[in-house]
Amino acid sequence: MFKGLSLFALLISLTAHAETWPTAEWSSAPVASSPALQALEDYAFPPRDDNTRQGIRTDALLVIRDGQVIYERYAGPTRAETPHLTWSISKSIMATVLGVANGEGRFNLSDPVAKFYPALAQHPAITVADLLHWASGLDWQEDYEYAPLKSSVVAMLYTRGHGDMARFTAEHAEYAAPGQAFRYSSGDSNLLAAALKTMVGPARYPDYPWTALFEPLGIRHAVWETDASGTFVASSYAYLTARDLARIGLLMQRGGRWGDRQLLPEAWVAFNRQPFADFTADQDEAVPGGQWWLNRAVDPSIKPWPDAPPDTFAALGHWGQALYVIPSANLVIVRYADDRDGTYHHNQLLKRALTAFAGPVQP
Amino acid sequence: MSRRGFIRRRPFSTLLLILLAIALGWAWQERVNLRAFPDIIGAYTAKEYCSCRYVMNNDAAYCRGYVKQWLPGTLADDSAAKQVTASGMGRTHSAVWIGERQGCRLQP
Repeated sequence: MFKGLSLFALLISLTAHAETWPTAEWSSAPVASSPALQALEDYAFPPRDDNTRQGIRTDALLVIRDGQVIYERYAGPTRAETPHLTWSISKSIMATVLGVANGEGRFNLSDPVAKFYPALAQHPAITVADLLHWASGLDWQEDYEYAPLKSSVVAMLYTRGHGDMARFTAEHAEYAAPGQAFRYSSGDSNLLAAALKTMVGPARYPDYPWTALFEPLGIRHAVWETDASGTFVASSYAYLTARDLARIGLLMQRGGRWGDRQLLPEAWVAFNRQPFADFTADQDEAVPGGQWWLNRAVDPSIKPWPDAPPDTFAALGHWGQALYVIPSANLVIVRYADDRDGTYHHNQLLKRALTAFAGPVQP
Repeated sequence: MSRRGFIRRRPFSTLLLILLAIALGWAWQERVNLRAFPDIIGAYTAKEYCSCRYVMNNDAAYCRGYVKQWLPGTLADDSAAKQVTASGMGRTHSAVWIGERQGCRLQP
């Protein structure tokens, strides 16, 4: 009997130890050099020219497998301790913060956003789910460099909208009924950030990303800039070290669970990873889910990254920022960069990383 | 009849007048965007340099290259106050570092 009990205890502890989690630091098990790893490095780290700013300029490449660091390299000015600008990865981070608030029962996906953000009263039918899908129907122009005059996002960040970005977004006219059409919009993401203020209350709001998400995950060096109205710039301005961003990747890889705690409702993560139904192939380079980018669509012929498994999903940002999560390969990959041209391709990096790091892929 | 005469006598002037009318119409339609447009360079440079230098803690020389544009401009970094002032296209803007969690913000 006693012997049986101790065997049982041993089995329990083996199961518990089979899953590795970072504590104050990540544990590390570097992979040995190989031709496949060399091919990945040749792609990600070609000779770097900071004067012309041309070509692929990776600042950080960090790979986590089974909860451990297996590869890590920095370049340019970036170090392990640099809180790097994530640009639009911030949108997926805000979605994760919202996931915690959803678990606290602060709102439902089907709630109209105007309930939490009265400035959106002109558009009463827009729901939280519509904003998460970038399907508000607001007539937004996302172009950055190529159409600066008409760009809503440039006006929001730097000129007419920077004082109150959510209000600037809310003043846009409607071009489609909410929830019907995908149009990538940084404005939609900042409306979510403004709604969160009412969802959790103005007293908790300024610290909420830290208390809800960063501190439970052991993230210690996050910066999140706000506009003059105090709203987090959820579209663009979160800064994290590569190692800290990878913690959010591991949380997502493991279905919203951190250790013993289900930090995000499982249904929330399922929503993040469910493709928006009315997406068509030519609309963007990857498939929109709930503020995350997916490698699969309702239409099975759409494969944004053909050399990566269909369960791959990612948070992506301007100038080559990426957090890739591949649950079937137990991989989380953070890539920071300062790419100023279009030479970098997600599929090329994923293909080489999978060749170098994927163990036997689980079905 | 006399209008037709003008077009025949001054075909190039007519074309120029039409183009001018189209240009003025476009400018009126885009007046809000056009008025804000010259602010982009100074505001972008001040904000992104401030964050490059004081949030990401990169060195000053790298951050100058990071925000460099094809249009000429000036950039002044008051490192004691962590305040960055930049100008371009005749407009000047500044951004200031607020704190450890809040990073930099563009001034009104």
